[in-house]
Amino acid sequence: MSIRLNPDLLPSLLADIQLSLKNETTASEQLATGQAVNQLSDNPGAAASLVGNANQSSADDQYQQSDATLQGKFQVADATLGSVVTALNAAISLGTEGASGTVNAADRTAIAAQVQGLITQTLGLSNTTYQGAYLFSGTAVNTQPFVQNAATGAVTYAGNAGATTVAISNGDNVGANLPGSQLFQNAAGSVFGALQDLNTSLLSGTGIGAAVTELQTALTQVSTNRVFYDNGLSQLTSAGNYLNQDKLDLSTQVNSLVGADPVAAASNFSESQIEEQSLLAATSKVLSLPTLFTYLPA
Amino acid sequence: MASNNIANENTPGYSREVANLTTSPTVDEGPLTFGTGVEVQSVISLRDSVLDLRVNQETQQQGQLNAFIGGGQQIQELFNQTTGAGLQTPITAFFNSVSQLSITPSDPNARQAVLSAAQNLTTAFNQASGSLATLQQNTNLSVSQTVAQINSLTTQLAAVNGEVTANSAPGENVGSLVDQRQQLLNQLSNLVDISEINAGNGSLTVTTSSGAPLVVGEQSFALTSQPNATTGLQDVYSQGTDITPQISSGQLAGEIQLRDQEIPAIQNSLDTLAFDLATSVNTVQEAGTDLNGAAGGPLFVPPTAVSGTAATLAVAITNPSKIAASRDGLPGDNANANALLALQNQNIVAGQTPLNYYAGLVFKIGNDVSTALASQTTGSAALAQAENLQGGVSGVDINEEAANLVRYQNAYQASAEVSATIDTLLLYTITSFTP
Repeated sequence: MSIRLNPDLLPSLLADIQLSLKNETTASEQLATGQAVNQLSDNPGAAASLVGNANQSSADDQYQQSDATLQGKFQVADATLGSVVTALNAAISLGTEGASGTVNAADRTAIAAQVQGLITQTLGLSNTTYQGAYLFSGTAVNTQPFVQNAATGAVTYAGNAGATTVAISNGDNVGANLPGSQLFQNAAGSVFGALQDLNTSLLSGTGIGAAVTELQTALTQVSTNRVFYDNGLSQLTSAGNYLNQDKLDLSTQVNSLVGADPVAAASNFSESQIEEQSLLAATSKVLSLPTLFTYLPA
Repeated sequence: MASNNIANENTPGYSREVANLTTSPTVDEGPLTFGTGVEVQSVISLRDSVLDLRVNQETQQQGQLNAFIGGGQQIQELFNQTTGAGLQTPITAFFNSVSQLSITPSDPNARQAVLSAAQNLTTAFNQASGSLATLQQNTNLSVSQTVAQINSLTTQLAAVNGEVTANSAPGENVGSLVDQRQQLLNQLSNLVDISEINAGNGSLTVTTSSGAPLVVGEQSFALTSQPNATTGLQDVYSQGTDITPQISSGQLAGEIQLRDQEIPAIQNSLDTLAFDLATSVNTVQEAGTDLNGAAGGPLFVPPTAVSGTAATLAVAITNPSKIAASRDGLPGDNANANALLALQNQNIVAGQTPLNYYAGLVFKIGNDVSTALASQTTGSAALAQAENLQGGVSGVDINEEAANLVRYQNAYQASAEVSATIDTLLLYTITSFTP
């Protein structure tokens, strides 16, 4: 004797219709959002990986923003030092001119006045600010780094030797500043010292050659230290390239973690629709199936 | 009987009935033995108690899983990383603001951004913890309501049980009462794990699977819910004994699992994350100096204990200049801001980085729901299979009933013909002897 089957087919059919609708909704959601993972339970591992991915992507955005700020700062610092180099070259020319035997004392005094102008110009450059903070005062960014004594003309450094570093991408840091003392009053060649010595020697008419040599040393020193900012800009460019690539990689990773395959989703949607329609048709047939009573004589 | 079966084709819990027909006692006439026809010995409701039990067991599992999944899905919405919900965004935003601060440590806007990000972070912790607490309270309310539903069902069950016993004399048909009882048992199974013991005379003793009595004969034993002295949450009592930990399946078990295990575990993880993160940030903050050169104070109100930190975490300062970005006391120094930023990659939360720890929490939440959903799918198929088998035994088949009707009708017609023949013969005999 065969096993008696459940004569009520409806519960199974209705459950299948529900399942089919669920599949249809899932496929539709995947098509609408472009994601195969829309709930943590869809793929807990992928959802957890998304935490790190989203964090890194957002951090990359922040690094790009920070790097742009830093780039602006470095460009201003580099341009400022470029102007200092120009001023020092001008001073060397003036010193060379003052050292020649063809100029007299009055000429040297006039040249000294020009050198004094260069000192004033360089002083202004050394006190350059960026976004309200002094560029060359170490970490004392609210303190004017270089102050000239009105009586003696001597320039003193009021900043400090503090140097800072900042992160420009994950795990990559760059020096963010050079203290003014290292740039303008370096023991290996002081910019202000050399300019003032030239001014003094022009006025006295002695030691001009030595002052010019001192200026050349200061120029070399400034140029050497200026490389810091050039290297920084170069490092920022590299970091920018890395960040762009990293964001692209992260975006690809997001797609592989939670992205829906649109072709598969469309196919699933279509299949679910066909399945649902078939089930509805089958249910309709079952509901209107004739029974034995239909065939019995009234 | 066929008409009763047909009428109850769609009645939930109805088991088809068949007549137990036996041959009537024979009559001996001299050397001959004559049959006397047929008689209905009893009416039997066709059911398979093993299948009934299996359906109830699967129903218990489904009840538990449905309750757990319902709450679990609400939890995973709170931390749905795929929509950007949860704590990753505010944690990342906080460290990003510190990153910006390290570039421009004296910038008041950058300092204000750190304060705002810290405020957003505490709000996110507070809201996540608050939502979990609300869900826990709602689930706690559901526990009380489920207990009330159980009591209502056991009261009905006891009454039906009594009727079954009272009508169990030989020859009496208690099929419809047993159907009713089975239907109540199935509803009860959806709510709580039960164990059935046949007590004789058709009576059934129903207990929880751990043995707490629910129905004994005509008497029902109500469960009660009382607030726990420590947690304030409703514990379930039977006859003065706390049976909360013993409830192992059914909707009540799912609610208790959600309320007492799942939500507290997530809440504890949130507290750990909030506590360790806030404490580490405060430690670094206190090692630095603020914009005015003063020693840094805590950025977050120092939590006193892990428990409850997520709910109460708050920012301790309102003045942006109090953020200690510096180590040397000067406004351009970012050494302490860098130290704060470095925390995001340090194992400061239970031996992991803050976001790795959080990712683990996200995985746990998703995995718990995913596992329950998988069990629900498997269990649902098993339940459907058991119900199908049960339907095969107890379900009314209209075609079968129609065939039976025709068969009984034909038998009736044949019997009527026999009676008519006997009547004719008798009439003939009587008239033959009439003078």
